[in-house]
Amino acid sequence: MAWLHTWSGLVVGWVLFAIFVTGTASYYRTDISHWMRPELSATALDPAAAATRAGAFLRRTMPDAAGWSIKLPSAETPAVEVYWWPHLDGPFHRALLDPATGEPARVRDTRGGDFLYRFHFELSLPPIWGRWIVSACAMVLLIALISGIVTHRRIFADFFTFRRDRSAQRGWLDAHNVVGVLALPFHLMIVYTGLVTLSATLMPWGVKAVYGDDVLRYYAEAGLATPGAAPAGGPGTPLPLGAIVARAAAAGGEVPEVMLVTQPGDAGATVTAYFEEPHGLAHLHPQIAYAADTGTEIARVGEAGAATRTGAVMAGLHEAHFAAAPLRLLFFLCGAMGAAAVASGLVLWTVARAPKGADPAGFGLRLVRFLNLGTIAGLPVGLAAYLLANRLLPDGLEARADWEVRAFFAAWAAAALAASLYPRQRAWALALAVPGCAFLAIPLVDAVLVGQQRFLAFDAAMGAVGVTLGLGSRLAARRKPAAARPATASLSRTVEA
Amino acid sequence: MSARAMPTLADRAAVAGRVLLAVFGGYAVAALATALLALILPGPRAEAVSAGTLASFAIMAGAVIWVFAARTLGRAAVVLGLTALLLIGALWLAGAFAHGAGA
Amino acid sequence: MTSAALILSLLLSFSGFAALALSLDRHHRAAYRMGVPRARVGSLRMAGWCGLGLSFAASIAAAGWDFGPVQWIGSLTGAALAVVAIIAFRPTWLRNAALAALPLAAVAVPLALLG
Repeated sequence: MAWLHTWSGLVVGWVLFAIFVTGTASYYRTDISHWMRPELSATALDPAAAATRAGAFLRRTMPDAAGWSIKLPSAETPAVEVYWWPHLDGPFHRALLDPATGEPARVRDTRGGDFLYRFHFELSLPPIWGRWIVSACAMVLLIALISGIVTHRRIFADFFTFRRDRSAQRGWLDAHNVVGVLALPFHLMIVYTGLVTLSATLMPWGVKAVYGDDVLRYYAEAGLATPGAAPAGGPGTPLPLGAIVARAAAAGGEVPEVMLVTQPGDAGATVTAYFEEPHGLAHLHPQIAYAADTGTEIARVGEAGAATRTGAVMAGLHEAHFAAAPLRLLFFLCGAMGAAAVASGLVLWTVARAPKGADPAGFGLRLVRFLNLGTIAGLPVGLAAYLLANRLLPDGLEARADWEVRAFFAAWAAAALAASLYPRQRAWALALAVPGCAFLAIPLVDAVLVGQQRFLAFDAAMGAVGVTLGLGSRLAARRKPAAARPATASLSRTVEA
Repeated sequence: MSARAMPTLADRAAVAGRVLLAVFGGYAVAALATALLALILPGPRAEAVSAGTLASFAIMAGAVIWVFAARTLGRAAVVLGLTALLLIGALWLAGAFAHGAGA
Repeated sequence: MTSAALILSLLLSFSGFAALALSLDRHHRAAYRMGVPRARVGSLRMAGWCGLGLSFAASIAAAGWDFGPVQWIGSLTGAALAVVAIIAFRPTWLRNAALAALPLAAVAVPLALLG
C-alpha cells in the first residue's frame, strides 16, 4: 500500500495542488469578487424593480432563450447578476447590471472570484473535460488517502511529531504526516463530498436505471427542483418580473435569491423563485414556480427524503456556505493543510530519491523537481498576477476579464520556467520569494489605485499570504547551509588528510 | 523502498494491468452497483437513486483498493469480473433491461 | 455567539491535546528534558481526553447537533496544529500555554452559551 500511496499521489499531485489552492481560495469567493469590483458599493435596493429592469434587458438581449437567470441584488452583492443561454448545454452568457437602470453596470470587466471557483473543478478546460479530470484526480486522492492511512501505522504514536531538526527526509515525512493526519477528517470529507457534488456527471447510472433520460423527473421527485412545464408553442404576455418577485417574497417570507425563467419567449414560460438555504448544513434551496403570464403558483419544491438530504448535507459541507467567519477560517486552514499535504508529499518524493554523493539526478527526478517548483511556487505567482492585473489593467480594455485570466496563466508559466533556471541550491528560496513579493505588492497597489477602507481586511490577508510565502522562502534558504555543513566538514577533513 | 532494483518488463505490464483494471473495472462495478441499488432499495424511488449514487464512490474506492491489494492481477481480474457478472444478473432480474430503462 | 463557542472548543481541545502530547515520552522529554514519569501518564491521558470531551460538549451545547460536530472537528484540527507547532518550535511553552488556555476557556463559557 505504501507503493500505491506514493505513486498515486505523485501522478495527480500537481493538479490536486491547484485544485486545493483554488478551492481553498473559493471559501472567500464573494470577498474576492467584491475586491475585484471596487466600483460596486452598497446602495438602497428595490429587488422587485431591479428584477423588472433585468427582465427588460434580457428580453432585448435574447427573447427566445432557453432560460434566463437573475440573481437579485442583496446587501452583500449590490449588482444584478444575469445569465442567459440559447440551449440547455450553453453557451452561457453573463452580465452584471446596475439595479437602478437595468443596464450593464459601470464596473471593470472581471470574472472575480468565480474564475478561481470554476478553475477549482473545471481547470479552465471545456467543462466536461475539466470536471472528469478533476473527478479522476479526486478519486485517486481518495485511494491515496485510504492507502496512506494503511501505510502510516504509527498514526497515534506520531500524532504530534514534527522533527524539523533531523534529516530533510525525516522533516518532510513528519510534515506530510502532520498536515495529512491532523486534517484527515477534512481531507476525507472534502474529497468524498466533492465527488458527490459532481455525481450527476460522474455517476448518472442510478438515475438512468430508474428514470431513463428524464433527469428532471428525478430532481422533482427527490425534492431538489420543481417539475418542469411543457412549452405552449406560441408567444405569451408575461407579467413584469417584479410582480412575481413580490408574490414570491410574500409567499416565501423573504426576498428570493435567484429568479429562473425557462422558455421566456413562450406562453408556457415559468418563473422559479429560489430562496436562500434555510439555516442548516444542507445545500437545499426552497423553490416556488410561477406561470410567467398569470403569476399563479404552479408548484413548490417537495420535501427531500433522508438520502437526498444526506447528499445535500454533503454538498453543503463541501461548499461551507453555512460557515460564519470564524468557522470559515478553520475551513480555510484545513484547505491550506490539504494543499500543504499534497505539496509536502511531492517534495518528499524528490527528497527521498535525491542521489547520494556525486550521482547525477536522473530525468524523472529532474522532471518532478521542475513540476514541483513550477506548481507549488508558480501557482501563487499566477494568483497574485490575477489580482494585480485587476488593479493595473486599464478599465476600457477590450475583453478585459480575459486579459486578467491570461495574466494568471502567463505569470504562472513564466514563474515555472524561471524556476527551472534557478541554481538548484537556491531554487526554492528564490521561487517562493517571487510570489511572496507579488502578494506583498497587492495591498500597496490597491492602496494607491483604489484605497477604500472596506478593503483593509482583504489587503491585510494578502499581505499575510505574502509574509507566509516570505517565511517559507527564508526557511528554504536556511535549510541549505545546515544540510551542506556536514558535507563541507567531511570535504575539509579529506583535504587535510 | 526496494524499487531501486530495475523493474522488469513483466513487472511494468502487471502494474499497467492493475491500473487499467482499477480504472475501468472499478468504475464498471460502481456503475452497475449504483444502478442496482437505485432499482432495489426500498422506499420512494428517488430516495433509492440518491442513496445508490451517494454510495457509488465508496464502492469504486473499495473495488480499486481490492485490485491493488489482491495477491495477483489474475485473481483481482477474476473477482472483479465475477462481481460485475453477478451485478449484471441481478440487474436483469430487477428488470433493468426488460422494458427499457425508465418507467 | 458562534465565535465565542468556536474559541471555547478550540481552547479546550488545545489543552486536551497538549496533555495528551505530554503523556508521550518524546514530547515530555522535549518540554521537561526528561521522560514522562509512569505515575503521570494516566492523569495526563485522563486530562487530555476530558479536554477533548468537554470541547465536544461545548460545541454541541452552543451549536447543536448539526453544526456542533463540524465545529468540533474543525477545532480539533486547529488545536492539534497549534500543539504540534509549539512542540516543534517552543516545546518548553507547552505546559504553560495549556494551563493558560483553561481560564480563557472559563471566560469564554458564558459568552458561548449565553451570548
